[in-house]
Amino acid sequence: MKILIVDDSSTMRRIIGNVVQQLGVQKGDFDEAEDGVVAWDMLQKSKYDVILTDWNMPNMNGLELVKKIRSEGSSHKKTPTVMITTEGGKGEVITALKAGVNNYIVKPFNAQTLKEKLDPFFKS
Amino acid sequence: MSMTQEEIEALMNDTSMADDSEPEASEENIDDILAGIDGIVDDGSTTEGMAEESIDDILAGIDGIVDEEPQEELSNSDMDDILAGIEGVVDDTPAPTPIAEAPKAPSINDQINSGIYPMPVENEHKVVNQLNEVAEDSEEKASQIFDVLSFILDENDMVSKNTVKVNEFLDNQIKLLETLNTKFPNIDVFSQNIDQANDIKVSMTEISNSIDAENNKVFEAMELMQFHDINRQKIERVMAVIRKLSNYLSGIFADDSTKAEVQIAQHISGDGQDTVTDDDLDSLIAEFNN
Repeated sequence: MKILIVDDSSTMRRIIGNVVQQLGVQKGDFDEAEDGVVAWDMLQKSKYDVILTDWNMPNMNGLELVKKIRSEGSSHKKTPTVMITTEGGKGEVITALKAGVNNYIVKPFNAQTLKEKLDPFFKS
Repeated sequence: MSMTQEEIEALMNDTSMADDSEPEASEENIDDILAGIDGIVDDGSTTEGMAEESIDDILAGIDGIVDEEPQEELSNSDMDDILAGIEGVVDDTPAPTPIAEAPKAPSINDQINSGIYPMPVENEHKVVNQLNEVAEDSEEKASQIFDVLSFILDENDMVSKNTVKVNEFLDNQIKLLETLNTKFPNIDVFSQNIDQANDIKVSMTEISNSIDAENNKVFEAMELMQFHDINRQKIERVMAVIRKLSNYLSGIFADDSTKAEVQIAQHISGDGQDTVTDDDLDSLIAEFNN
């Protein structure tokens, strides 16, 4: 199971990485990107099983990244994507789901929530 | 009868000899010498001993000689004494009213500190810059705190691995001791060591539980670190509002006219205590005219 964590906050990337490790993912099995542009480059080079992305980021935000993946990401068009963001409005959730996000987590979250949201992808 | 050259030389020699051996010839000696020389007559023209008054008398007798020595200046009080002594002279000049000294103006730093003036517009005082700095500094410190928490997790992981090794060893020892105890039930040492090993095993389990509990708390702390990301986004929201407000205010207060700026009045009547009253004004004018 290879995971891509996309967040402009290095602290958040480490927190998510830590939770993912608790789920049994090895350190070498997840990569980090600080914005959508870097993430897109990494998606061109490697294959990932799950993408965990923030919404508000510089250069390319998470929503733009998901839209790009769903429209142009040849090998990742159907890769499960979870949006982890501070945007907690109903309108934003609907917007993200319409863009192709598979699941949605509002910050701050606890490790259990992330585990529950990722479990289906780990089982499949 | 005039002095011959020889007589003059003799006189000079006599004087120079006196220079070598004796104290300088006194004026009386010279007078004696001169008296001995024919033709020399003392006409009493020496001014020595003449009193200053006599010189003044002489000078006063000469037409056109004016005493240019400056007179001693009279002080105001002397003048007042003199005037007071003259009948009919009355001092009708009104005494100037003393004007209260203006209070010392506070320094610009005092005024900034007391909030009268705003901080100068420098990078370290710009609100958006400051907020940005806070967000960046907070990110850096959060990362450092995360390093500390990660270190604790790594160390705990190491202790857990060692605990497993110790437990494996203890299990083997207990098995061995149990076998020995079965074969030699009369030897108490085996049974005592089994009890001791079991006690240590319990302690090891307690250590493992403590490490797990500690790890859970560390994970909790890591989760709480999300506050940083949330706070940063709140700060960014405030920064965005300030930027928009700044643009808006710049637009409102922008001066498009090309008219030169007129110098503004510093104190306008009615402003407060800084302005002079009519009495103050009269006093000032009177004082300066004197």
